[in-house]
Amino acid sequence: MSRAPAAIKRIFVGRPMSSGELEHTLLPKTIALPVFASDPLSSNAYATQEAMLVLGTAGTASGALGLTIPISIAVACVLAIVVSSYRQTVHAYPSGGGAYRVSAENLGMLPGLLAAAALLGDYVLTVAVSITAGVDAISSAVSSIDDHRVIVAVGFVILVTLANLRGVKESGTLFAIPTYGFVASIYLLLVVGFVKCAGGCPQAESAGDQLKALEPLGFFLILKAFAAGTTALTGVEAIADGTAAFRYPQSKNAATTLSVMGALTISMFLGISWLADHTNVIFHHDAGRTVVAQIGAAIYGEGFLFYLLQVMTAAILILAANTAYQDFPRLSSILANDNFMPRQFRNRGDRLVFSNGVIILATLASILIWAFDAQLNALIQLYLIGVFISFTLSQTGLTRRFRKVKPQGWKVKALRSGFGAIVTGIVLLVIIQTKFIGGAWIILASIPVIMYGMYSVHSHYQDVARQLAHPERRPHDRRPTHQRFVVYVPKVDAATCRAVGYVRSISAAEVTAVTFDPANEAAWERLAPDVPLIQLPRAGFSNTKALRRFLRDKRRELGSDDFLTVVIPEVLQAGGLSEIVRHPRMHRLKASLLSEPGVQVLDIPITKADIHAMTDEVQEPGRNFALVMVASINNAMLQAIEYAETLRPTDLRAVSFGLEPEAVEKLGDDWLTARIPHPLEIEAAPFRDIGSSVLQYVRQFEADGIDRVVTVIIPEFVVPKKRHQILHGQTALIVKRHLLFEPGVVVVSVPYHLD
Amino acid sequence: MAGIRRAFESISRPPEEVRAATLRAWRDSLAGTTPIADLEPRKRFKVAGVIQNIRIDPREGGGSIEATIIDGTGEMIAKWLGRPTMSGITLGTGLIMEGVIGRDEDGELVILNPEYELVSSPEHG
Repeated sequence: MSRAPAAIKRIFVGRPMSSGELEHTLLPKTIALPVFASDPLSSNAYATQEAMLVLGTAGTASGALGLTIPISIAVACVLAIVVSSYRQTVHAYPSGGGAYRVSAENLGMLPGLLAAAALLGDYVLTVAVSITAGVDAISSAVSSIDDHRVIVAVGFVILVTLANLRGVKESGTLFAIPTYGFVASIYLLLVVGFVKCAGGCPQAESAGDQLKALEPLGFFLILKAFAAGTTALTGVEAIADGTAAFRYPQSKNAATTLSVMGALTISMFLGISWLADHTNVIFHHDAGRTVVAQIGAAIYGEGFLFYLLQVMTAAILILAANTAYQDFPRLSSILANDNFMPRQFRNRGDRLVFSNGVIILATLASILIWAFDAQLNALIQLYLIGVFISFTLSQTGLTRRFRKVKPQGWKVKALRSGFGAIVTGIVLLVIIQTKFIGGAWIILASIPVIMYGMYSVHSHYQDVARQLAHPERRPHDRRPTHQRFVVYVPKVDAATCRAVGYVRSISAAEVTAVTFDPANEAAWERLAPDVPLIQLPRAGFSNTKALRRFLRDKRRELGSDDFLTVVIPEVLQAGGLSEIVRHPRMHRLKASLLSEPGVQVLDIPITKADIHAMTDEVQEPGRNFALVMVASINNAMLQAIEYAETLRPTDLRAVSFGLEPEAVEKLGDDWLTARIPHPLEIEAAPFRDIGSSVLQYVRQFEADGIDRVVTVIIPEFVVPKKRHQILHGQTALIVKRHLLFEPGVVVVSVPYHLD
Repeated sequence: MAGIRRAFESISRPPEEVRAATLRAWRDSLAGTTPIADLEPRKRFKVAGVIQNIRIDPREGGGSIEATIIDGTGEMIAKWLGRPTMSGITLGTGLIMEGVIGRDEDGELVILNPEYELVSSPEHG
């Protein structure tokens, strides 16, 4: 903001506050801990068990299970190192330092993409692993569901998905209860357990079971058990990523929360491992109950406290899955902002976009659960690679930054994060080495594919941005003399009647009608004798091809300032999407016409219910409200404004729906500086649902199609490669679908063709 | 337990209703403000609401910016004339303003060039 207007405004309107000053919506540490740390805390429910499962393959006779405690201590050390290193990240990146950002900024684009791809994959696994572990916790208490694990797990995925589709925010209380409940239950278990163990530990139900030796107890097996135990480290990233959500002083509070999280996780993890060792739990694939459940049953007996423990465990695990539903869209939106993911992920507020991300996450997680038969151990083989790739990259990036920026005491700092990078890097190698055959290869193979995808999206957007960036066009009071209409007449009916009324009201430079059916001629002569009806030959072509050829010939005669609109009248049988299914040919025709350069497509639908007796007569609407859909200022939008001007509407305005608050200010200021001589309205889509917001907005004009019409003008990008179309224009589709059955609404697609 | 009930309610109730209730509670928390439903024209009031729509019209001398605000009881318009930048006005922010209430040509409640303060709201951090 420049200084002079700011001063004037302060006198006028008072001191503006930046959103950064809005402290009281920020999270206090007590709420931030459950919101961000439910994932790492919850992994205590299965981390010990996974290590023991590996050790158990050496057989009970080998004494391998005695290594549970030393391995747990090693894992705890890695966790402490990572926490210490991440404490530096939150100080260096107070606005949020996710692995993607830190890596991209300090190491370059490719490492950044590597971190992003690894994290996206891991979020999917967080859902699959946490839900599966939650189902384990439940089936440990209620063994009858064990046969239906996949269905129950997918059911939970659907439940969490539905809650997120409906829009559950990171509600503090919702997170606090299960998280603190789980921590309290585990600590109670540990305290009661230690007290009881003072006089000789109670023994677990599986104590004394014999396991056959399947693998030799060697260095590799120990590494494998260690790798399995490092699952306790997942989710540490979330705090560093969400530093901006903490109360001031943000970095300090985030760092404290990290330490508390680390201390809780380490103590719980070591405690559980200690109790598992001393109650002599023997765990194997077909054990009916989780290690934590077995410890609980041994310490408490099957009473209230046992069931409470299981309920809290299941609750925090499902909550941990929910965090991925926050993280996946957040990272996606950051990536989309940097043009590495389709634009649809950028506006987190847009419900459909958000839904897409949530559904993609849910679908992938469900597929994983199904493919791995809801077996925790199998899923865990895929897990952690992404986590440790991102740990290693972000610590390396941070070290690089310290060496470059040289803040106070940088040598010690760089050493700390460098040490963190080396340790996590070694763990990463161990994980790859030990889990490769078990399934890790799937992740390692998909990461480059995801990276390539993101790279291609980026270069495409780069190209499009270049073509749109320099507005060559300026709206300058275009008139109907720049407009030519071609009315397509499949048959003469109420819809063609409306179309004729509409085009007549505009007094364009030229109006022609075309048909393929000679039978229409007589009826047309009665309806619109002033408009010449041209009979198009269909021989040898499809209708679409013949129509396109006609339009192309016509287009050649026109200047570059002229618009050529093909008008498509449609009588719709009933509401609902079945219409699109019923008239696939019409739908394809419209889609095909959009790719014809220099042609705009104007759709005049009328529903059966809307046809009144008098619509046999042509009636020109007296008022035409033109709305141009806008998201940002670019050539395509400017062309659509020019188009709207040729309709000489009663009212012409640009409208924007469901924009992110941050984008609103930019669009508004751009609009004022671009000196576009029309008003712009920016409408909130409070429920992140552009379609319904548009519908609600349009209804204020009370269009009836006879006297009052609303013309919605949608600028669209047409890209030369069909597969790129998915990166654009989704909003256009949503809006068109919602408006199709709205009485009196005419929709025009104004395509902007990119090279 | 209250948290669980609230969470459950927010999942099961229609979002519009939850939104209006949230906005009313938020407005209640701002001392000295009057609900939009209780406003009377030609009197001075302090009102608060969340910005639902912004209209920018570059045609009116030097540009005008209008913000439609809602508080769960009704909606009204704040209009600034000759305003060259948005400076902080964005969707979802809370707006506390004070001025004489009028009606525009469509009969909507409007405040012209009010003094205002931007505050956080349930819809924008």
